[in-house]
Order: sequence, then structure tokens, then C-alpha cells
Amino acid sequence: MNARSLSMDRFRVNRSMVLALIFIIQIAVTSLLVPGYFDIRGLLDATRSFSEAGLIALGMTLVIITGGIDLSVGALLALVSVTIGFSYQAGLPLWAASMAGVGVGTLGGLFNGAFITYFRLHPLVVTLGTFALFRGIAYAVSDANAVSGFPDWFSLFGQTTLGWFPLQFLFLCLFVVIFWVVLSRCAFGRYVYAVGHNEVAARFAGISTNSVLLAVYTLNGFLVGLAGLIYTSRIASARGNAGLGLELTVIAMVVLGGTKITGGSGTIVGTMMGILILSYLQDGLTFAGVRADWGLIFIGVFLILGVFVNQVFRERSR
Amino acid sequence: MSLDAGSETRTVDFAADDVPQWRSILSWPAAPSIIFLVVATLGVGMVTDGFLTIANLRSILEQAVLISIVALAVNQVILSGEIDVSTGSLLAVCAFVFGNTANVVGGAWLPLLAALAAGGTVGLLNGFLSTYGRVPSIITTLGMLFILRGAVLLGGGAQVLNMAPESRIFGQGMLAGVPVTILIAASLFLVMEIVSRHTIWARNAIAIGGNESAARTLGLPIRKTRLIAFVLSGLCCGLAAAVFLGQIGQLQATAATGFELKVIAAVVLGGTSIRGGKGSNVSPVVGAVLVGVILNAMTLNRVPGTYELLILGSLILGAVSFEGVRQKLLTRGH
Repeated sequence: MNARSLSMDRFRVNRSMVLALIFIIQIAVTSLLVPGYFDIRGLLDATRSFSEAGLIALGMTLVIITGGIDLSVGALLALVSVTIGFSYQAGLPLWAASMAGVGVGTLGGLFNGAFITYFRLHPLVVTLGTFALFRGIAYAVSDANAVSGFPDWFSLFGQTTLGWFPLQFLFLCLFVVIFWVVLSRCAFGRYVYAVGHNEVAARFAGISTNSVLLAVYTLNGFLVGLAGLIYTSRIASARGNAGLGLELTVIAMVVLGGTKITGGSGTIVGTMMGILILSYLQDGLTFAGVRADWGLIFIGVFLILGVFVNQVFRERSR
Repeated sequence: MSLDAGSETRTVDFAADDVPQWRSILSWPAAPSIIFLVVATLGVGMVTDGFLTIANLRSILEQAVLISIVALAVNQVILSGEIDVSTGSLLAVCAFVFGNTANVVGGAWLPLLAALAAGGTVGLLNGFLSTYGRVPSIITTLGMLFILRGAVLLGGGAQVLNMAPESRIFGQGMLAGVPVTILIAASLFLVMEIVSRHTIWARNAIAIGGNESAARTLGLPIRKTRLIAFVLSGLCCGLAAAVFLGQIGQLQATAATGFELKVIAAVVLGGTSIRGGKGSNVSPVVGAVLVGVILNAMTLNRVPGTYELLILGSLILGAVSFEGVRQKLLTRGH
């Protein structure tokens, strides 16, 4: 047992290094193939487009470590965005509307968590339901219209740069550090792993598993709220079809980073590498002028392939 | 239906001894949904003009046919403890194969074969990855949902196909006074009933969904059984594509977006347990009609189309939480 957990640890360290190497090779190859792609400023600017997905991927990492999944994040992002836009249009001050948006995100996560723990339902069913429900509310409220014309200061969250760094990327970095500390240096982090590894054993060990699950889903909802705020500020418009397919990108990032889809293991560093690799792949494709529909196919393939490779590796390491 | 009638009867007998009558009614999977269907139909009929007319009821059934064809197969996937959310895009892919084949060779039977082949192949891939490849089926089929949609958008982007009347025979017209589409769904239901009653595969599927580790201990072929369920789901998408194109007569790349949600809603509304192992062939059909009734009532009452997703989401959540409550009630005191 001891030897095995040691070798697992070594494997995990190796994995992040392998991913980092892949990332470097990926950037090098894209730079060689696409003239004008390699440009530090340009590469940093590209972080603007994936910081939202990155934020949610951090929360999703925790969700998947507990053995669950959240398919509703894209729909919830749309609901958050619509809440901000339409409560502003209805006369609420924009700062209050923004807070309402983040609040709706958090409540959405809480709703998922409460449903999952109270009815003891599998998260995939609950979040498949809220996947339709949240976007359904967003469509119903917005009546398929969009709101734009926000005051200038609102571009703060999504369009500002500090030096060379887009503000939301610094935000993402901050949350990466927080989540790394929480997951690997706090008792709560250990509980998250324990619940995912063996929920019954965790309960017998005195961990309130329901509270852990509730906290994890609510936290994920809160991150979706923040991401929705950044998204609305970046796009400068709010509409119901925001974040279509976002759940796929986010889950692909997490599993590419080595988080086990059945729960119990995964790291924030791995997820960070998953975020970078997948986002710069998309960025490279867009830069090279490849049709956006290919993006759907690539991410789908990466998602399935990522899980497949994980499962095969784990089989071997036993 | 018959299959779990055996296991269900035992629960009912047992329940009759020491728990009130209403609990034993709760334990028959399709009962609540049938009651709900009757109540909903009568309720909607009373408040909505033009709902309880022959023409409208027929159009509801014809809409429900498409859902139930796929739901009958997805029902088997869910019974065996897996899930398939790729059906919306797969239906679109099969429709594309059907439409393009029909454009080249004409007729309807050869395109049907092509659509079945396409559906079966994707189903096989889904099943293979989800069983032998050890990728959870939600990941496989969610990935496939996007891959296939991407492929349809790339392959047929701006293309709008119009179908010739001779290629629309599976979605139009009457045979012996009954609409062809309803005949197709009815025959599929009969086939599934026979399969459920008389094949080892169907019995294995329920056993595996009910208790996977027990099934493994017994030595049941878990992977093969689930693989076949996924292939069935793909084949039914092929069949549904033929009906779909026959009904609407033209095809766009965004066709059937969100269809997978209607299918899942139909299965869980009908009373098949999302945890697997419990349900019948009646469930997806009743569920499909229910979805049809509710969407139709929306249209007749001039509820904007933007509410459709909202309604579907609430239906899925309502059905699964009902199932959750039922489980809690049934297990309390045991």
C-alpha cells in the first residue's frame, strides 16, 4: 500500500511535468507552423479569452475529485450574464446587478448541491436537469434578446490590462494559488479527496460528507458567477446563448490535467496545465484561421482521449 | 415490462404485509407517470381550446413517435446503468446520411440502410469506449454530442436539403388507416417487448443496472450487454432519422439540437430509474407522450418557444426528485 501510494505520487509529479513539456512543445510547434504567432504580448493577451473557463475549471476540479460532475456550468454562466444585463436594464444600479449575478451563480451551485445531497441523486442527472433549467430561465427572461450599452467602468473586469497582463488572468492566477492552498494544505482539501475516494468510509471517519458536497457545488457556482461577470464585461453584452458548450471545455481541461473522472485524485497544478494546453490549442487554431466548428470536434476528442489515457495509465500503475 | 413485473411483484407482496397500500402503488415504476399523463391530458384539455380534438391528439402522437423511437433504446442503456446523451447530434448525422443518400440514389430503403449503418457505427464506438475503453458513458457521449454536431456543421453547414416525396414514406401517409409513423413506433415497441420477455440480453441488462457488482460476481457479460445497448441506441437514431426527415421534409445542420434532453426527459418521466435496473418499455413511450402533451399545450396556450428548455429542465428535475422521494419512502423503516 505504502509503495503503491508512493509510486502514485511520483506518477502525479511526472504527469504535471509531462503536461508542461507538452505545452512547451505545443507552443513551439504552433509558432513554427503559424508565422507571427509567437509574441509574448499576443500570447498573454490570449489569456483574456480563457480566464473564465479557467476559473470554472478550478471549481470543477473539486467537483470531479468528489466523484461528481457539473454539466450545468455553461447554462449557469448564461443565467448569470442575463441576470446582470436584465436587472441593469430594469433599473438596478450596475454594481448591484453585478452582485446579483454573482449571487445567482452561487445560488445555482447551492441548488445543484442541495438537490444532489438531499435526494441522493447522481450529480450527472441533477446537473443535466439544471443544464436545461438554467439556460431555460435565461432564455425565458431574456426572450432571446440581448442587453448591451453598459457604462464605461464596467469594462474593468474583462477589458483592463495591468502592464502586459489582462486583469482577469491575474484574477485567475490568484484563484489558482488559493485553490492550491485549499486543496493541498487545508483540512477541507483532505475531506474533498476523502469523499471522492470512498464516501462511506469518509462518513464513518466523521466527515460530514453532505456539507463537503454542498460546499464544493456552491463554490463551483460562485466561480461561475465570477466568470459570468467577467464574461459579460468582456463581451459587453448579456444574452441567453452565452457559454454554449462551456461545460465540455471545462471538463476537458480538468480531465486533461489528470483528475480522475471517478473521483479521489487530481491536482490544481494539473488542471492549470490542462487549461493552458487546451486554451492555447484553441487559440492557435483560431489564429491559423481554422473554422470554429473544428473546435467542437477537437475538444470532444480531447475530452474522450484525456479520460481514456488517464484510465489506461491508472490500469498500468496498479 | 414483464421482466421487472417479476421482481416488482415480490416487492409489492412484501410491501403489502407491513406498509400501507399507497406505498405498493408507488413501487410500480410506470404507474405514477400513467396517472400523471391522464391527469395532465384531462387538465390541459379542460383549460385549452382545441386540445382534445382528433387532429391535435394525432399531431401529439406523431411528435411523440420520434421521441419514443429513440427513448425505447436509450431506456435500455439507462436500464443497464449507463447513459447516452449523444442522440441529438447522432440523429442529425443519421439524417444527413439519409438525406444525402436519398439525393444520390433516390428511394427510401437504401437511405434507411445507410442511416442505420451510420447510427450503428457511432453507437458501437460509444459503447466500445464506454465499456472496453473504461471511459464513463457520460463523458463518451457528451464528447460525441459535440464531435458529431461539429461534423454536421462542417459537412453540411449552409446546406438545406429538400426531400423528394418518394423518400419521405417513413414519416408521411397512412397504412390501413393508421399513420405510418405510429405504426413504426408501435412495431418497435412490440419488438422491444419481445426482446425484453424472451432474451437473456434484456434480463442481463436489468440485472447489471440493478446491481453491477452482484452481476460481476455472477459472471454476467457486463461489457457486452452494455455495448449492445449502445449499438441499439445508435440504430434507433438511424430509424428515427428516416421518420424525422419524412415528417419535416427538409434538413438543416442545426436540426434536432437539444433532442437528447427530450429523450432523457421521456425516459425518466416514464418512471425508469436513472440509477438503472428498474423500468419497462412502457416508461419511455408514456414519457414521450407526456413530453408531447406538455410541449403541445405550451404551443396552444401561446407560451413562447423560449420557455421550452425551462419546461424540459423542470420536468427532468421533477421526475428524478420524485424518484428520489419514492426511494426514500420505500426504504424508510427497512
